[in-house]
Amino acid sequence: MAEATRNELMAFAISEVLRDGELVFVGVGTSGRAFTLAVGVPLVAARLAQLRHAPDLDIYWGNLLSPDLSEVPERLTQDAITRWPGAHAPADVGSKVDMLVRGEFDVSFESAAQIDRYGNLNITRIGVGETPTVRLVGCLAQPEHLAFVRRPIIVADLSSRVFVEKVDYVTSFGYGDGVRTRESLGYDGGGPELVVTDMALFDFTPSGRMRLTSLYPGVTLGDVLSRMSFEPDIVEGLTESPGVPESALRAIREEIDPTNALLRV
Amino acid sequence: MRVKLTSVAEAASLVSSGDTVAVGGSLLRRQPLALARELVRQEVRDLTLLTWASSLATDLLVGAGCVRAWEGIYVGMWWQGAAPNFRRAVERGEVAVTDHSESVMTAKFRAAAMGLPFLPVKPIRGTSMSERDDVRSVTCPYTGVELHATAAARADSTILHAYAGDEFGNIVWPAHRDSDDEDLIMAAGSRRLVVSVERIIPHSEGVRRPNLTYIPHTKVAAVCEAPFGAYPGSCDTIYDEDEAELERWVAAGKREGGFDAYLAETVRDVADHEAYLDAVGRERLTSLEVKRG
Repeated sequence: MAEATRNELMAFAISEVLRDGELVFVGVGTSGRAFTLAVGVPLVAARLAQLRHAPDLDIYWGNLLSPDLSEVPERLTQDAITRWPGAHAPADVGSKVDMLVRGEFDVSFESAAQIDRYGNLNITRIGVGETPTVRLVGCLAQPEHLAFVRRPIIVADLSSRVFVEKVDYVTSFGYGDGVRTRESLGYDGGGPELVVTDMALFDFTPSGRMRLTSLYPGVTLGDVLSRMSFEPDIVEGLTESPGVPESALRAIREEIDPTNALLRV
Repeated sequence: MRVKLTSVAEAASLVSSGDTVAVGGSLLRRQPLALARELVRQEVRDLTLLTWASSLATDLLVGAGCVRAWEGIYVGMWWQGAAPNFRRAVERGEVAVTDHSESVMTAKFRAAAMGLPFLPVKPIRGTSMSERDDVRSVTCPYTGVELHATAAARADSTILHAYAGDEFGNIVWPAHRDSDDEDLIMAAGSRRLVVSVERIIPHSEGVRRPNLTYIPHTKVAAVCEAPFGAYPGSCDTIYDEDEAELERWVAAGKREGGFDAYLAETVRDVADHEAYLDAVGRERLTSLEVKRG
């Protein structure tokens, strides 16, 4: 069987940390690579975890709880979304926001235009002046995810424009700046747990600094550092990430995403 | 009950320059575009928009110079990326922006619906939004816990696009629909509610299932019939978005001055909603319809 792609490495790494009985939130994403990162990789990871070790893992996809993911159409038109089979959709989306704030989600998946050393995220605006140099989409519920989800996972491609020392705008508070911490602001736990990228995996130190923990096969430390605007902490004894076992690759390719609708780009 | 059925133009005329307007729909769904186009024709100015996840309606009104400020959770074109007119106007400082996260925006609409001046929300500390001065602290009188407060959404008028309704303004949704929006909460907290519907149904049809009337006539100031009133976006269970037209919109909006020509062609030089549908072409519209049931 052909070697694991970067998307399969990402999905497998995520699936390994998902636990039985957890409720994970996946957004509805947009298109192209952004769709793969926000929707494709997380959905494949969650399904893989269900098949391998977490049969009672539950998924909330957009506005739909326990969606039927046995068939994913290639184009997600409005009507495909309206008619998607699932266990539950709330009468209005405010009820889902309530679930978030009440802390009912264990895991969420986050991408952002800027991600900083302390896991703070920006999806709102680039530039620190009165008016933005680039206006982005807004906030959505990402602030709530980083505040109230137990273990948010950041999913992003490494890029020195994205991985910056300090975000221009704190849409979502990760671990602050080393002085203002989650604890000092009164948060009860939470904060991003992992950063899963196309080249390497990271976690966060006890003081909230991003820490490189492993490199994908064939990737060098230089490859990673040249794609970040700050130098992350590096775990002692940095290793290569474990490859994807053949049984998992087979499950992804034959059962979960046979049409490549989720991991296409 | 009295008859509240009007033309699209009359309905839109209930929105005045300077109003704060809550605009319904979410992402590319049920954007009240027939009403928004009419606001452009009527040369309404200086609106402050309050939205959930908005796309076409906000981008159109901003592109036509009708808007001075926006508050909400999102403006974008979903699959198509950024909302080009909104983005440029914000980057130039022509439209003032107040970003809210989803729990805060929901609380604003709920406070209005409950007749309250504000609601407490669970604090999301450390973010750029939570440190603005419109966010205040409030202490729970029972537990002493410190919360954040957010002021009620105070919309002068509210514009929504909906599935169906009767001539009295009883607005009906289908039992199966895409519920990822806050139109119901916006309607509940509205002061002057203007609703366009895909079709006007006989009163005798709606009364058989009163729980599907999600907005009662008592709330509604005017209801108008606007088939394909969310085109080129979608109305879930009735028609899908027109991707080619969305691409044309975005391309026009990205070019300096390009959207003026688009607005002339699709809004300003077109007499009304019916004439617009004729110009788009009935066959093209029919091809977007989705299977019912």
